[in-house]
Amino acid sequence: MLILGQAALLAALVSFGYAAFGIVASWYSGHGGLHRTALWAWRLGLTGLSLVLGVLAWALLAKDFRFAYVAQYSSRLLPWYYSLSALWVGQAGSLLLWTWMVAGVACVFRRTSKGLPEPVRAVACGVLLGVVAFLMAVMVFGADPVAPSLSPPADGAGLGPVLQHPAMLAHPPAVFLGYALWTIPFALACAAAITGQLQGDWLAVCRRWALAAWSVQGIGILIGAEWAYEELGWGGYWAWDPVENGSLLPWLTGTAMIHTALAWSYRGVLKKTTVLLAVATFGLCNFAAFLTRSGIFGSLHEFSRSTIAWMFLLLLAVLAAAGPLLVCYRRGALRPQHALGGLWSREGLAALAAAALVLLAAIVTAGTLAGPVSKAIAGRAVTLEPHFYNTAAVPLALVLLGAMAMVPLVRWGGPPERAERQKLAGVVALAVVAALVAFIVGVRHGVALAVVGLSVLALGSLLAAAVGDFRSVLRASGWRRRARLLLARRRQYAGYVMHLGFVSLMVGVAGSSLGSATCDVTLLRGQAFEWLGYTIRLASVEQTVLADKRVVETRLEVEPSRGAPFLLVPAQHFHFTTQEWTAEVAVRSTWWGDLYAVAHGGSGDQRADLTFIVNPLMRFIWLSGGLVAVGAVAGLWPRRGAKGGRPPGTAAGLQPELDRFIQARGLRGPRRAPERTTGVSPAASCGPALNAPHRNPAAPCSRDAAARP
Amino acid sequence: MTAGTKLVLLAVVLASATAWFAWQGASGSWQYYLTVDEYIAQAGSLDNVRVRLGGKVAGGSLVLGADRRRAEFELEGAGCRLPIHYAGILPDNLAEGRDVVVEGRREGDGPFQADRLLTRCASKYDPAARSATAAPGEGS
Repeated sequence: MLILGQAALLAALVSFGYAAFGIVASWYSGHGGLHRTALWAWRLGLTGLSLVLGVLAWALLAKDFRFAYVAQYSSRLLPWYYSLSALWVGQAGSLLLWTWMVAGVACVFRRTSKGLPEPVRAVACGVLLGVVAFLMAVMVFGADPVAPSLSPPADGAGLGPVLQHPAMLAHPPAVFLGYALWTIPFALACAAAITGQLQGDWLAVCRRWALAAWSVQGIGILIGAEWAYEELGWGGYWAWDPVENGSLLPWLTGTAMIHTALAWSYRGVLKKTTVLLAVATFGLCNFAAFLTRSGIFGSLHEFSRSTIAWMFLLLLAVLAAAGPLLVCYRRGALRPQHALGGLWSREGLAALAAAALVLLAAIVTAGTLAGPVSKAIAGRAVTLEPHFYNTAAVPLALVLLGAMAMVPLVRWGGPPERAERQKLAGVVALAVVAALVAFIVGVRHGVALAVVGLSVLALGSLLAAAVGDFRSVLRASGWRRRARLLLARRRQYAGYVMHLGFVSLMVGVAGSSLGSATCDVTLLRGQAFEWLGYTIRLASVEQTVLADKRVVETRLEVEPSRGAPFLLVPAQHFHFTTQEWTAEVAVRSTWWGDLYAVAHGGSGDQRADLTFIVNPLMRFIWLSGGLVAVGAVAGLWPRRGAKGGRPPGTAAGLQPELDRFIQARGLRGPRRAPERTTGVSPAASCGPALNAPHRNPAAPCSRDAAARP
Repeated sequence: MTAGTKLVLLAVVLASATAWFAWQGASGSWQYYLTVDEYIAQAGSLDNVRVRLGGKVAGGSLVLGADRRRAEFELEGAGCRLPIHYAGILPDNLAEGRDVVVEGRREGDGPFQADRLLTRCASKYDPAARSATAAPGEGS
């Protein structure tokens, strides 16, 4: 098995290297034979890589400690599902999984991208295969997942007890799948810039992949936060440590990229920014791997000896040079097609949001690298407390929330029309009233008041826009047509649902950070104490011994001032293999907030040392993940007739009605940017739902008179 | 002034404001993160300065308070030891030989007075980094 794994690993490295070279070379030279051999090499490489993954998964399930990786991360007593999850706990295993995901995603991309011009498709596949070959090289030279144990132990070292949690079955694979999916927007942006075919359908395809990557990664990060909340027992979900920051960075720039790509699709602006952000997002996925895998937070000495660190550093340097070079090389084709419509247009808000997100990413990067950089320069490492991030990030988050709140009542290409301006004024007044009411009710913190006001602004403008849309739909005759008109706006509303997710996240974060209260207390058996309207009594402390751990359960009877009494049972587990305690927290969750209880160790069966934390509005944080999932599925669901490239509704002669519908909404509808060059067939458009190819793209609305040549 | 220029100006204002907030945040929340040996070597310049120290609880040195709200032990580095007096809730996994991180300050030649004590997990990559920053009662 070991030999099979090693052979498959080497074969896959060589195959992917050849395939990457072959695909690009055959496109360049037009050599059909080379293309065929490259495709075979691709298949061979994928088979080899899958075989390596299969061998390691089998070894983990069979607890074959001849594999160094299995000996390090599994043990005889570990249940099979956690043993399998060790695949993404260690360095080599997670690299293997990530590589395999990139290779798999590349295959799906090749199969689903037949509508793209062949050069773009070929170069994009070449870039994807190049990335796979690079990651394979990292594995072969720096972190071999199928390396043998020098002396196979009788039992493995086992998985860290805090990692034995259901969230850990989903969080790392989701984040790695996000990283893998971000490779595609990067590859497409590179391919379009290299081949010069910057018009056409690649952008719409790119946006779909970016949205998939963004939602999978975002939900993955949120599952990680939930794990931290339930498993680490300190009452928070985000500690701004390097591992968390690393995964957040590409998500921030990726969010910016999705918005600038929209501005490019609809108005032909922010093109250079989009290309740079696509490269940066992919670079930051690798930076995240570099942060967690290079040992930079251990000792600098260890770091300088790590092969992986140097390989990732080289890749990052190449990317940092390649992005600006590509943009300079194609600066002519990347020139904007219209002037920006001002701050109060959708592209203006998109640009503002992108600026805020990039600044957020810069803050997080600076905070993360403060330690190693200060150590290298001044010889003394410095750490920054969460206070640094909270101070710097909160104003930016409020700017983002404010920009987002306007979106439904603002159109592409210029400031809002009169009707929209009136609605906006009404909604702003409503938001001010909401903030005042919150103040009167007793909310005194400026940030909390801002979040209340801006959230009401976001909800209000969304409702106002929805009512306007609904009225236009009612004007159409017949239920079928009305339904189709509604469906035609599906992507728009999918976007709004994801925006609501952000509102929900902000409400949850603000509530739980600003309104949190903590209390440390020691209770004797039968003793009760009152705190924040809860009467908490220690009923009993019970111990049970299981095969792999001792469990101490603290049973607490809680009577809230309103509502039915309930039982909270925080527990502690003592794990025999690792000789370590873990806290199993107990949480009573309602929409108003969480009561979070942690028991501390070593206090016997007559008393308990406890920490109670009240975190208001925590549920809204988890709700945001649900909203993003719903929005992403609605936005990514393939539309009917997409294969034929015909926008929905046109078959039934609905196009004039759609046009009237858009005009009734003050030209807020999506509008295809005029093509700079002709000759690119719009027939296979995968663009937004209303991106009708025959809507005379060369006739921009009157406000576009400033369009540059 | 075109809309593009206005947006660039706005971005510059946003960036400057962010830099200012970041400076405010950093000046109130940074501290040195040193090993015991580094700390002892630079002790003269770090008198009464709040720092974060990483090291191991030395064998045979750990004394726990009866109320489980204090602990005294020696923090061991590669070659040096430093007496620590800690007041606060004891982490579950505090034991001799374990890697810990303490925060606090020292006046003159007295013991290092710590008010924050975190145990680093014995397990591998991820939790070590996490638990180093995750502390009871820390805001989110």
